[in-house]
Amino acid sequence: MSHGSLPPSFRSLERFNAWALAKEGDRIRKRRASTMEELRELYDALMPQMEAIVAYLDQFSPAHLPEDAQRLLWLALSFVEVTSAVELYGQPEVRNGLDDPTRFRPVE
Amino acid sequence: MKTDMSDKRWAKVYPELGTGPVPAEPYISPEYFALERERVFRRVWLNMGRVEEIPQPGDYLVRDLAVCNASIVLIRGDDGVVRGFHNVCSHRGNKVVLDERGSCRGYLTCNFHSWAYDSQGQLKWVSDEENFFDLKKSELGLTPVATDVWEGFIFVNLDPQPRESLSTYLDGVTGQLAGAGFERLALAHVYRVDERANWKIALDAQNEVYHLPFQHRASFPDVFVLKDNRYTRLLDVRFFRRHSVYSCELNPSHTVTASEELVARLDTAATRCRLPLIGDFDFYAIFPNFVILLFRGAANDFFMTYNFWPLAVDRTVWEIKIYFPPAETAGQRIGQEYAKCRLRNVLQEDAAAHETIHAGLASRAKTHVLFQDNEIQIRHFHKVLADQVGVFQEG
Ligand code: FES
Repeated sequence: MSHGSLPPSFRSLERFNAWALAKEGDRIRKRRASTMEELRELYDALMPQMEAIVAYLDQFSPAHLPEDAQRLLWLALSFVEVTSAVELYGQPEVRNGLDDPTRFRPVE
Repeated sequence: MKTDMSDKRWAKVYPELGTGPVPAEPYISPEYFALERERVFRRVWLNMGRVEEIPQPGDYLVRDLAVCNASIVLIRGDDGVVRGFHNVCSHRGNKVVLDERGSCRGYLTCNFHSWAYDSQGQLKWVSDEENFFDLKKSELGLTPVATDVWEGFIFVNLDPQPRESLSTYLDGVTGQLAGAGFERLALAHVYRVDERANWKIALDAQNEVYHLPFQHRASFPDVFVLKDNRYTRLLDVRFFRRHSVYSCELNPSHTVTASEELVARLDTAATRCRLPLIGDFDFYAIFPNFVILLFRGAANDFFMTYNFWPLAVDRTVWEIKIYFPPAETAGQRIGQEYAKCRLRNVLQEDAAAHETIHAGLASRAKTHVLFQDNEIQIRHFHKVLADQVGVFQEG
């Protein structure tokens, strides 16, 4: 298994490997640094796969995910991270938020 | 225009809270803030966190309370009891614990000259002790701060002689949330926002649902709007001496986004976590600066807390904590992430509003602010505050 790979049945999603991020702060930063086209691409690719992803992950205990399954979960969390931008705002960040959105800070 | 009282639900129930304008000065006055520091924050019970944050003997947590000019260390003793102390060395006043949290194997040791205190705050070691004069170690422990725990929430009171016990202070909140079982949920996410706003502006902006369909129209267009009603209405509001709870219902036929529909399908975790909710969403404002928010989930409920920590009259750290039941399935984990992201959106919008409101009031363009019937809980908070501070009261 090469570093950074996803479980074999989800290899088609490997082009989104950069989104397999463990930390919320990193997922937020990635969303903010992306264009709407990039966010929509991730959204469109993940949306039809989410049920299969959950079914796959549920073979394991959540506390003991194999590495590639762990990355798949992080990718799924990034999907969640971008849903509001795509469905509600039409821009990567919430509308009418703080002047500098990084001031709203997850403590990790 | 003469007000028609027949459709004013809450003012009729609580006439003592009045209906008039409320002075804006307390939001921006440095003098008022100085009084709040002395007469409120140094005299009432303040929430510091939860017992699960220091589960083992020797585990400690430091809270620097700028509003009280104090640093407090909370530590679980080797006897299992959670105690609070001023984080100040008995030798010459240095800050004893410098990190925010940790676990001490035996002793808390001051960096300056290595005096060491045990997990119950007793002074146990003085370097070069023979060169001191009449030193009584047994009388030189860390200065205790009144500390008590309610339903797992740790509170301290900086008054050397607290006027009432924590349970008396919390009044009917204790009955309302008795046995809630908060310990079944785990702290999942913490946010801290350093805001250019008075702490009461931040708290008040959260302490109502009137603003939801407007300020959050992009984020939650119709989640709180009841079907036959263009505006939000409280389902219930109750007062427990200094504290309040308001409740509301969610709109069962609100617009569902594609991801919301998906996540609801994915989260098939069995129901096992229910909290004692009055409505679908309950907001407890525990005077002065602590909030517990309970949320009804389709399968599992969850809760959040806010602590509004004043740094100055125009600066506040809004501390947000989200607690979820431990996820048993990937679908539940994703559902929780989803709930968190949707809430975070709204809280970001709120944080921005806290600052624009503060800027507006700081301009002194307005001498008063107004509250409608469904904002009565804010009126209550200001009455309690004015009583506690003892000035700026209007008839
Ligand atoms: S001030 Fe703490 S040991 Fe001297």
